[in-house]
Amino acid sequence: MNEHRRQILQMLSEGKISADEAERLISALEAGSSGSSSQNASDSPTKPRPKYLRVQVDSEDDDHDGPTKVNVRVPMQLLRAGVKLAGLIPQQALNRANVAIHEKGIPFDLSQIKPENLEELIDQLSDLSVDVDQSDHAAKVKVKVFCE
Amino acid sequence: MIPFVAVVSLRGRKSRTIRLWIPLILLWLLLVPLAVVLSPLLFLVCLACRVNPFRTFSVGWQILCALHHAEVEVENPSAGVSICVF
Repeated sequence: MNEHRRQILQMLSEGKISADEAERLISALEAGSSGSSSQNASDSPTKPRPKYLRVQVDSEDDDHDGPTKVNVRVPMQLLRAGVKLAGLIPQQALNRANVAIHEKGIPFDLSQIKPENLEELIDQLSDLSVDVDQSDHAAKVKVKVFCE
Repeated sequence: MIPFVAVVSLRGRKSRTIRLWIPLILLWLLLVPLAVVLSPLLFLVCLACRVNPFRTFSVGWQILCALHHAEVEVENPSAGVSICVF
């Protein structure tokens, strides 16, 4: 920190920057340091909420003439609306879906997805990052899922 | 806010890109009378399926609004498609 300030003063003494520029740089330095210290003090809860879910797929097949790239940006609002849509599913259909999911060996209950739990879910999504690399003799696939 | 414009980019093998700006607002204006005419029918369908029609319309509207800034891109050396909703 002091080193940066010293560098600015040195640049000022060498005439590389004017006094006004030096003042601006020092004030920017101070603003940056106070911002980072307050961020450290309050820890991670102050980080901005994610707005989009990004899915990137890079695939290289030997059969095709080059790599295929898929890039999908899903607004978080769409996830919220989607969960609300799931809330409209009639109970009978929900039960059948739950049975089918359990038969696949996935311990998940769709009825537990409620709008009340949604915000918490989206907050947790901000830390989500899924990277999948698969390569065999025929294809090489990279999948990346993250929030931004 | 509902999306007003969709930008569809199509690229062929010769790297020639065609960009289409589709004014969705015109589509919505055309669909409004149709929605008004069909709303009683949709209402009855919701009741028949034992789904709250008002919640259904509300969620449908939210999904429409949430499409704002959605983006899908598929790129390949031979072709590419990109759809952005604004």
